[in-house]
Amino acid sequence: MKALIVDDSQIMRRIIVSVLKKAGVNDIAEVANGQEALDALKADKDIGLVLLDWNMPVMTGIETLKHIRTTNKQLPVVMVTTESEKERVVEAIKAGANDYMLKPFNPDDVLEKLRKYLESTGK
Amino acid sequence: MDKVNINPFIEAVQEAFERMVGCSVTRLDESPAPQQLHFPDLIGVIGLSGTAQGVVAIRFPVATALGVISNMAGVTFEKVDGAVIDGIGEIVNIVAGSAKGRFKGHSISISLPTVVSGDICRLTSSKDTVWVEVPFECKLGTFSLVLTLKQVAANRQEVAGEGVNSR
Repeated sequence: MKALIVDDSQIMRRIIVSVLKKAGVNDIAEVANGQEALDALKADKDIGLVLLDWNMPVMTGIETLKHIRTTNKQLPVVMVTTESEKERVVEAIKAGANDYMLKPFNPDDVLEKLRKYLESTGK
Repeated sequence: MDKVNINPFIEAVQEAFERMVGCSVTRLDESPAPQQLHFPDLIGVIGLSGTAQGVVAIRFPVATALGVISNMAGVTFEKVDGAVIDGIGEIVNIVAGSAKGRFKGHSISISLPTVVSGDICRLTSSKDTVWVEVPFECKLGTFSLVLTLKQVAANRQEVAGEGVNSR
């Protein structure tokens, strides 16, 4: 299974790559904004999990999520964001997010949260 | 200017460092920020808008910045490059985002982060705001949270209630 990390911070992408590799996921794509994510999803049908930041230039995470859900209801999308207000979480879940992870996070907690998606797809 | 509740920012710094950098931080006594800073620093800056407005910055001496980003990313950085600058921006983004969620009843938006580097930085603000600097230390060195914040709508109690020296 291939994972797509969408975050404008290269350091954050590097941290999440490290977490995924710990979980045995080595097929990983990275992009820096929502538009690049949509392009990547269109071009690569092997992507089976999306980790999506909220605040990004060009296209935000929530806009990206809404675009994804117009064509793909099944793809697991996990928001990874600093947006901690209840209203934001509800907005993301209503828009079709499967899960919501808050920054700052402990890498082990991320691993635990992602495990169900990785197991359901057999990595 | 009304006293500003800076506790959400202090808690956000402590949490960010514990979870993302893997070290605990100790808060030192805050003081009015100097108007002119003479250090080879990296400063991550982010704007707040909405029912509370202001600027949040975290100022790192270069040595501290390199240690913090190395710990965070799990690789060693020996000089300031694009990845280190990116990391400083991400830290201030995490702190501001986490802090705004702690102001209950407020609607606050944050800008994308900007990182400033250089030997001299002059802080200025409008006459009805003041800058507050809160120094911290951790095993990787010292750094400071620098912020100015004012409430512009309802819920003044939440933002102003406990005062600058509340913790």
